Amino acid sequence: MAATNLKIARVHLTSRLRQTIVALLGVTFGISMYVFMNSFMSGVNDMQNVLAFTTLAHIHIYNDGPADNTNLVKKVYPANTAINIRNAKVIQYTEGIKNTAAILDLVRKQPEVLEITPQVNINAFFRNGGNKLNGTLSGVDVEKENKLFNTSQYMISGQWNNLQYRPDGIIIGADLAHDLSLNVDDNVNILTSDGVSRNYKLIGIFQTNIKSVDKAKAYINITAARQLMNKNQEYVTDLQVNIADFEKTAPVVQRIAPVIPYKVESWQMSNQQLEAGSKLRNAIAMAVSLTILLVAGFGIYNIMNMTINEKIREIAILKAMGFSSGDVTEIFLTQAIVIGVIGGLVGMLIGFIIADIVNHIPFKIGPLNNLPMGYHVQDYVMAFMFGLITTLVAGYLPARKASKIDPVEIIRG
Amino acid sequence: MEDKIALTATGINKYFYQPERFQVLVDINFSVKRGEFLSLTGKSGSGKSTLLYILSTMDTDYDGKLTINDEVLTGQSQNQLAAFRNAHIGFVFQFHYLLPEFSVLDNVMLPALKLGSKSKAEIEEKAYQNLKLLGLQDQALKLSSKLSGGQQQRVAIARALINEPSIIMGDEPTGNLDSKNTQIVFDIFRQLAAERGQTIIAVTHDEDFAKNSDRVIELADGRIISKN
Repeated sequence: MAATNLKIARVHLTSRLRQTIVALLGVTFGISMYVFMNSFMSGVNDMQNVLAFTTLAHIHIYNDGPADNTNLVKKVYPANTAINIRNAKVIQYTEGIKNTAAILDLVRKQPEVLEITPQVNINAFFRNGGNKLNGTLSGVDVEKENKLFNTSQYMISGQWNNLQYRPDGIIIGADLAHDLSLNVDDNVNILTSDGVSRNYKLIGIFQTNIKSVDKAKAYINITAARQLMNKNQEYVTDLQVNIADFEKTAPVVQRIAPVIPYKVESWQMSNQQLEAGSKLRNAIAMAVSLTILLVAGFGIYNIMNMTINEKIREIAILKAMGFSSGDVTEIFLTQAIVIGVIGGLVGMLIGFIIADIVNHIPFKIGPLNNLPMGYHVQDYVMAFMFGLITTLVAGYLPARKASKIDPVEIIRG
Repeated sequence: MEDKIALTATGINKYFYQPERFQVLVDINFSVKRGEFLSLTGKSGSGKSTLLYILSTMDTDYDGKLTINDEVLTGQSQNQLAAFRNAHIGFVFQFHYLLPEFSVLDNVMLPALKLGSKSKAEIEEKAYQNLKLLGLQDQALKLSSKLSGGQQQRVAIARALINEPSIIMGDEPTGNLDSKNTQIVFDIFRQLAAERGQTIIAVTHDEDFAKNSDRVIELADGRIISKN
């Protein structure tokens, strides 16, 4: 009996091939657009994350500096007391992070944490003869820094690992090197804000293609940095933490922030524009592709309605012969499902092809060579699911109408 | 078998509400024996077709009681009635109502496939027998829409017979046919009633058709005026 219903559904689909194809094309188009739009958006998002995480860790721990202590008097006296303080100054506060070993230990114990690296970041002038440029000098744990940020893959000359053995070595950004007229093996002078000046040997040049980094960043060994700052072997200004899933920083931050007496900041907190951008892109992709699917759904609804109006006498006779309402629903719903499944499969394939073609379109801006594209299984699964749901809804309404046909009314005319 | 009752209608009343309340059938009481060939006649608007659709179980909006093969059908659900029609009632309409995209054979087989009490091979065998009975065995694999009107009506009869229903109902079964085809259809009905004991109830305008059946029930203004 189910086989009979299927057979009727099949004959309906194949005997009116043109309409079936039009309905199929609607679904195919909707789903391929859904796949393409979402692949494109996730490609852009992935790209942006890669770019962002070349210099950004998932969680950043640092000393936020002293609180606003310009008016200590108001803590003691009532609020309406007249106070006159001029030229307030902070005499002394702790720089950097104290008790680093304990914090490193604590953070490493969190199950989500992949790696943590200490940094000594120094604002400094880079000098080569008459050229003087401001930038950040980063004292890093060479091995761990590479694990977090893949710094070694951005090297355009020299070896990243050499920094480990060269307390006098420095690796600087390509644009900074260019602006200072520096080549590998040249000397560069560093002047810190405390007035300490020291020469380093340029042992490597890196290029991340992010201008702000390439123009103003340099790396030295963390030990050398401590020496430069005249600090002890525990001295650290920043701790950079990477976790397994960069989207899920919130629980880790919540857990460790209360027990660490420094600022614990996730990348989402410090870069809300990135987060907003990727959410908005996802919303746009979703809106556009759902609209397309909705239009395809209306197409199916129309075609099914037409089919049912044309076949109203046949439906009446089927019911007269003993087909139940359920059978009639099944016959027409089957057609919708077949259209949905075939349209979905073809749509995923075409979506993939379009994505692949667009992926090869040249787009040479910044670090990009061609348009970015993400290939995620979940985009395809979602597209298929949405397509199927749309066709089911679009098919169910006419099918229910068909099942409610009163044979007497139709046959008697 | 001659005296067993196939169908009983007791106190059937039916109203139309559009455009205004109007009683179409007034207190209809009669029964039909097994193997009887019954004609329902009457002028247009006499209610004969309305009565047939009530007897066919498709129209459930009536007062009274309908019993077929000792089973009370009044009050059953639409799906139960659909299953009952499938097994016990065959239909022949004025217009053939074949499914145009299916072959003749498929059209004939459909009700039996729906019933599902026999294997597909048996059903096919039976369908060929029925087509042969109606002289259509050569047309079996053609699309039903390619046949002539008389042939299509005979296919519809073959379809009505496929589940060996105890009752065959016809609504002007010969209304669209020429005299030659009318004669063929009539002879088939006669034969079915006589040889297989199948009950035939046909609404007809055709005087000759009615005259030659076993019994004629004539309706006028919703009442039975003769049961002869």
